[in-house]
Amino acid sequence: MHSWTPGSNWANRGIAMEGKYKIPAEMWEPIERDEIENENKNLESKGFWSDAWIGFKRGRLAMAGLLFVAAVVFTAVLGPLFFEASMSDQNLKLTNIPPILEIYSVGGDSFVYVHREYKLIEVTRNGQISGRLYPVEDNKDERFRTYSIKGSHVKLDYSPAAKGDGEKYKLTVAGRQAFPLKKVLNKTYLFGTDNLGRDLFIRLVHGARISLTIAFAATVVNLLIGVFYGGISGLAGGRTDDIMMRFVDMASAIPMILYVILLAVVIGNGIRSIILAMGMVYWVHMARIVRGQVLSLKKKDYVASARISGATWWRIMTRHLIPNTTGPIIVAMAAMIPGAIFTEAFLSFIGLGVPSPEASWGTLASDAVDGIGLYGYQLFFPAAAICLTMMAFNFISDGARDAMDPRNGR
Amino acid sequence: MSEKLLEVKGLQTKFSTRFGEVKAVRGIDFEVERGDSIGIVGESGSGKTVTALSIMRLIEKPGIIEGGQILYRGEDLLKKSEREMENTRGKKISMVFQDPATSLNPAYTIGNQVIETIIRNTALSRLGAAMLAEELLRAAGLSESKKSMKQYPHELSTGMRQRVAIAMALSGEPDLLIADEPTSALDVTLQAKILKLFEKIKKEKELSMIIITHDLGVAAEACNKILIMYGGLIMESGDAKDVLTNPMHPYTKGLLGSVPGMRSDSGARLSAIEGSPPDPTKPVPGCPFSERCPHAMKICGLMIPKFYKTENGGRSMCHLLHENAPRHSVEELLGGGRL
Amino acid sequence: MYYEDMDNQAQAFAKRGVEIDLGRYIAGRFASMVIAVFLIITITFFLLHALPSGPFSSERPVPKSVIEALNEKYKLNDPLWKQYADYMKGVVSLDLGPSYRKSGVRVNDMISEGFPVSAKIGGASIIVVMLLGIPMGVMSAVKKDMWQDRAIMFVSAIGITVPSFIAASAFIYVFSSRLGWFPSYGLYSWKHMVGPVAALSGFSIAFVARLTRSSMIDVLQQDYIRTAKAKGLSNISVIYKHALKNALAPVVSYLAPMAATILTGSFVVERIFAISGMGKYFVESVTNRDYTVIMGATVFYAVLLVSFALLADIIHAFLDPRIKLGE
Repeated sequence: MHSWTPGSNWANRGIAMEGKYKIPAEMWEPIERDEIENENKNLESKGFWSDAWIGFKRGRLAMAGLLFVAAVVFTAVLGPLFFEASMSDQNLKLTNIPPILEIYSVGGDSFVYVHREYKLIEVTRNGQISGRLYPVEDNKDERFRTYSIKGSHVKLDYSPAAKGDGEKYKLTVAGRQAFPLKKVLNKTYLFGTDNLGRDLFIRLVHGARISLTIAFAATVVNLLIGVFYGGISGLAGGRTDDIMMRFVDMASAIPMILYVILLAVVIGNGIRSIILAMGMVYWVHMARIVRGQVLSLKKKDYVASARISGATWWRIMTRHLIPNTTGPIIVAMAAMIPGAIFTEAFLSFIGLGVPSPEASWGTLASDAVDGIGLYGYQLFFPAAAICLTMMAFNFISDGARDAMDPRNGR
Repeated sequence: MSEKLLEVKGLQTKFSTRFGEVKAVRGIDFEVERGDSIGIVGESGSGKTVTALSIMRLIEKPGIIEGGQILYRGEDLLKKSEREMENTRGKKISMVFQDPATSLNPAYTIGNQVIETIIRNTALSRLGAAMLAEELLRAAGLSESKKSMKQYPHELSTGMRQRVAIAMALSGEPDLLIADEPTSALDVTLQAKILKLFEKIKKEKELSMIIITHDLGVAAEACNKILIMYGGLIMESGDAKDVLTNPMHPYTKGLLGSVPGMRSDSGARLSAIEGSPPDPTKPVPGCPFSERCPHAMKICGLMIPKFYKTENGGRSMCHLLHENAPRHSVEELLGGGRL
Repeated sequence: MYYEDMDNQAQAFAKRGVEIDLGRYIAGRFASMVIAVFLIITITFFLLHALPSGPFSSERPVPKSVIEALNEKYKLNDPLWKQYADYMKGVVSLDLGPSYRKSGVRVNDMISEGFPVSAKIGGASIIVVMLLGIPMGVMSAVKKDMWQDRAIMFVSAIGITVPSFIAASAFIYVFSSRLGWFPSYGLYSWKHMVGPVAALSGFSIAFVARLTRSSMIDVLQQDYIRTAKAKGLSNISVIYKHALKNALAPVVSYLAPMAATILTGSFVVERIFAISGMGKYFVESVTNRDYTVIMGATVFYAVLLVSFALLADIIHAFLDPRIKLGE
């Protein structure tokens, strides 16, 4: 496995050089040496933030997360300006239409999509929805419906569904069985419609506004309360600190969500209440971090030595205190946002979310659960939005933490 | 001639860190004969600990043993499988580490850890192992060994813990014991006691030892042969007495000059060696000591010297021992001695 | 992230080189527990009774006389402190009062009906988390940076980000609707348990795996592991005997938060899988604004969770030999 190779690559063995050549005479002269330069290489950084940003950019996941969030925010803010329909417009004729349609040709230039509830929707060749078609005959006993589409006689027989597995329906056009032509993307409703015929894409974008607003706002409230509480606790020290942290510890024994639920029950529904409820509960985490930072800073040698060496308070603050405290705080904030998104979704699931017709990602997901067997897409998009956004913020938070870690060296 | 227990030939070990490649051991040769106590002396970063870990094949990612042979009784340890190595460690070659505070598992009792070693490395039953454990601990200096066996590491003092580590290392009756800075974490009185313990063990069990230390005093007291390492290479080697009284290498001379009471030419002032240890990621193409050597010549920075034989049977890796080296430098080095 | 904070707590705890009398230790923790529960009950009580309107004024217009009668019946016209005292008396004697919405039903009954169901699923989840999460973490640590590690980290990253209700819904969609392997509602056989347990334990499995991994990585770098190898012990022995015992501390610390996660997870999972456990009752009571049930459930949960915290502390004490039984 490992064997000794004489004259190996990087250990210049004198023995192997024996007799190879004569060493020139000047080689025996002493080396002239300059004074060794100051060993302490100057490692002063250009500035804490520019270094941190460079470090952050190096993390691919973190940057991907940042871009994703930026894209979502951008869409959420500007998107609705371009929408014609509103998020609450209902169209009860076009309920529960998925984003991908399998269409049949019914002669000429007409195409149809067979709805899960065994209705026919007229579609153009490339996926635009024309409208719902109404049957000429609707036979509920024998389970079929007949339509007249641009002169053709079309029959939708859904009796096979009751007989078990296999084909659930049979579509006949002018006497002959029709087979699916192709699958097209729904060009009218990008993400499909819900059970009230509302455009899910529009609702999702609006939902982004709501969910993100709630998440950011709640995090800011947490930040304010947490910094306040933690700062005081850390600065005061001693008994006050003890008592304040004891309170926090005991309060933390119970899952925060329970508190949020209780508060939401008390305060009521609505965006403001949710923000308030979350803000009043999750600050404990931030308070701990801030307090920890304040405590360790109080002890820092370099603060004392900076003062001794005559640095002004301002300089100490900007060069030492602020970079070192805001780092963990930013990381914590980035990590709290996914938690807030999750909590909002959770509350919606329980029924304490934003009220109709406003929609958040959580309410969209919650509404979709009932129809999950038939209409999986209704859950997919809000769920994906929630998960991806949470993941993006987690990556950002991890990346920020790594970037600000002084141990990473340069 | 004594039997050659261990022969190290051309050992090369490197680590791939994010700061670059660190060539910790760059090609060293030495031997351990039965009954020897070899002292490997050097500053931190010289490669002495890595040498010991390489012998035990305890080098892990990102480190790797790149080349060379480690012949234990003629068999190359570097060619053995992990299984075979597990049977070698503890049973044939054993090791004691530097920091007694962290080298014992805090979650298990002393007895548990010693007995486990015995069972692994001998054919004793659990009962026999327990009895032997008690014996060994007592012999190592823990007078109330029965009580100690039920205790946890944190309940013992540092000195006692080191004794436990030594007893544990010996429990498999190895031929060779490697001790990595065994006394560095101890105070002077404890140090003396541990060295005395080594004496006793050597005599009673005919144990061969490799003692790694940065302290020349320890080497002087406990070793019969010394290797001086620097920058991953052996600078000088030989019988302890010779190396310490009649050094044949500028580095050794410097080391001796910086230790009170060990000056080779009495009357000279205490001289610490100038400069700092080399950057392991940027090795000099020539002799690693050339940057700090007061006698350095141009060739020293360009070519690694041969390992010359010195008059008393030792070896020294220095260009000053080349036949063409200027006389005055050599005399400065040897302080009047001859090649 | 969250687990870093907890990691620090666990480390701080484990490093306490002080010897503590186990008896006094438990007594101390128990006292804290009682105080914590007391605080929680008080806070919850006053929170719920902070509403200006009583629990019986709802969206539907109800004749005033009816409201009056109900208020009388449930003693809601008494001064607040008296209501509080009455309630506390009830709690101490383990009576949590009547349900406001379902007349004739007492809160205790609802709990005793619903809790065993939830406990079954919750208990199974905890076991699954330990049985899957810990070995995953160990494997990941031992094979650090190799494909096993990366695969496990990837899977666990998904587990951590996907919320339980989404996992539950996805499970139903994939395994019930599409593949038909598992039923999607009810709790009648072991097959019915797979979905709920999977949804409840997903997050925690991933979390425990990561926790174990980082803890093991730290432990494997310790000197005493090197000593163990130098003694000639086999790799398995080194990992499972020497390393694991020292690495488990943070996982034990996570026991209490995990119980909390599973508990809150049960709210949604029980709803999605249509299981009549305590979670479902709790959610219903929230929707119906049934205050006594909400209070009662909260009290119950509080006691449960604090007990878990106490249990975790006790296990810690046994794991860490620096805390010994009083002699």
